[in-house]
Amino acid sequence: MAAEKTIWKKLIWTWKPESEFEAGDSIVRNLLLHWFPSKITFRSLSYRYSFWLGTASAILFGILTVTGVVLMFLYVPSVERAYASIKDIEFAVAFGWFLRGLHRIGAHLMVAVVFLHAVRVFLTGGYKNGVAANQNRPLNWIIGVVLLLSTLLLSFTGYLLPWDQLAFWAITVGTNIALAAPVVGEQTRFLLLGGNTIAQGALIRFYVLHCVFLPMLVLLLFAWHMWRIRKDGGLACADQLALDQKQEKAPPIKSKTYSLLGIAGTRTVHVEAALVDEDRHATPASPSLTLRLLVVILATVLLASLMTIVVEAPLEEPANPAVTSNPAKAPWYFLWLQELVADTTVRVGGLTLNGALVGGIIVPGILVGLLLVWPYLDRSSVRSAGIWFGSDRWRQNIVFLIIVLAILILTIVGTYMRGPYWGLYWPWETWPDLPRKF
Amino acid sequence: MKTTKPSPDAARQPHTTGGEGGQTRRSFLDRLGLGTLLTAIAGQTWMMVRALVPNVLYEPSLRFKVGTPDRFPEGVTFLEDRRLFIFRNQKMFYAISGVCTHLGCTVKMIQLNQPQKVEIRGKLTEERWEFHCPCHGSKFYAEGTPYAGPAPTPLAWYRLEVAADDGQLIVNLMEPVNQDFRLTV
Repeated sequence: MAAEKTIWKKLIWTWKPESEFEAGDSIVRNLLLHWFPSKITFRSLSYRYSFWLGTASAILFGILTVTGVVLMFLYVPSVERAYASIKDIEFAVAFGWFLRGLHRIGAHLMVAVVFLHAVRVFLTGGYKNGVAANQNRPLNWIIGVVLLLSTLLLSFTGYLLPWDQLAFWAITVGTNIALAAPVVGEQTRFLLLGGNTIAQGALIRFYVLHCVFLPMLVLLLFAWHMWRIRKDGGLACADQLALDQKQEKAPPIKSKTYSLLGIAGTRTVHVEAALVDEDRHATPASPSLTLRLLVVILATVLLASLMTIVVEAPLEEPANPAVTSNPAKAPWYFLWLQELVADTTVRVGGLTLNGALVGGIIVPGILVGLLLVWPYLDRSSVRSAGIWFGSDRWRQNIVFLIIVLAILILTIVGTYMRGPYWGLYWPWETWPDLPRKF
Repeated sequence: MKTTKPSPDAARQPHTTGGEGGQTRRSFLDRLGLGTLLTAIAGQTWMMVRALVPNVLYEPSLRFKVGTPDRFPEGVTFLEDRRLFIFRNQKMFYAISGVCTHLGCTVKMIQLNQPQKVEIRGKLTEERWEFHCPCHGSKFYAEGTPYAGPAPTPLAWYRLEVAADDGQLIVNLMEPVNQDFRLTV
């Protein structure tokens, strides 16, 4: 009995430390915990500051990886068999419907959560450097933007795989947007499709991108993203505590003195252990951070699982190049883009600019470009870093929110107000009955 | 016999090659090694990327037979696997592509309830059908000119020929033609 207790204690003590000393030690000794700081500020832990959206998206990525690997055992990436294998997963494989549903809902949630995470970081000025040395939060923001784009690409390459009507027309439209790019358009489309037509070559390419290339990229960028957070001294809200402390003229924080080093270097070396008074504002990461992490994991898994049971995962008819669904709609998170490419063909005199180029490449390109450089254009004070709606960032926050709102409005119009032939209908209007074929 | 051991520091001494801005044999070999490695990596990366560009395509031919003219009824026939509308007006034939010029969806042919007079490029013509695209709402007149929605150019017209051997119609997707094209059989 005693031996069992000792083994149990050895296994879990890092997660349930019994003293401050053990709490600090656990961070160093545990492979999973070592990427956390040993102490974390209460402010960084609060739900109201970050809503834990970044953590939730990482958890969703975990769910997607696990369900995705199981699905890889069941799915066949061939144009003849892909559709049938998805149908098997849905109707013949034990709990296949749940796996596929959870993978699909996880992806939808991840797109939403990563987007909201980016919105949160912008509105709190979380990409701004604070007071600690060697911070480079703008770089981490750029990594985050690339992660957002990778998330979108992951979901795009994912919903192509069932090789149903949604898949086929999404590849058609997606690769034709690439074709509209000047100079490199044709080569890009050829490379994406592995030819000129949408066939086996295209499916296997998107399959490998979806299952290997993009997840590896996300994993690498995610690791870099987390590492940078540590190097930047945690979330930006912690910097405000340090600034407050300076104003309060609080007594200097206890520092460590390395006397031997001091002797060797002929002067005493003081290392500032932390910028904020840890006794007042911080708590050991294990168990405070780990417990909250478990709560967020529980909430995310619960939400995704419940939604999987409630929301049906549709499978459209098998891909048919001769008949485009009417209307042929992208998933909700791309409908603002579909709305844009439909509305932005510009005719000036004899010159016509295809909406595919304007709405599909130029406008999104400008938006992404602005996101990437924004931290370097933002000249607001350090007092606006890590603060919701910082007072000297109100103008940029309003412009940002207007852009977000415009994207949401276009998404809503695309989702609820577009009918056959992309015509405008009120949500309560019934669509006309149309013959299915030409 | 007295052997002289090389001093352990000898290896660390710079070996001057004589002049040349302080370049030593060691630094030259360093650069040569690094350069070789980078060249090898760049070359092999190029090989891997190039392997993804197919040399042989197993795609359907762009010039193909579609059957003898008498197979086609008066009016329109839609060739599903080629996304192509073949029109027949007694002895005259022409082909219009069903691929929308905006983003490549297949347009649907809309039969109008009653003929409609429209002005296309300054010419008044009567049309009995139109083409509408389900993806982004582009609309085209009967001969393919866009009049609404995002499509930037008219639907493509392709050359029709008669095969010398068996008299079948041949569609040539490599040769777009203008909207006056008619093949008389």
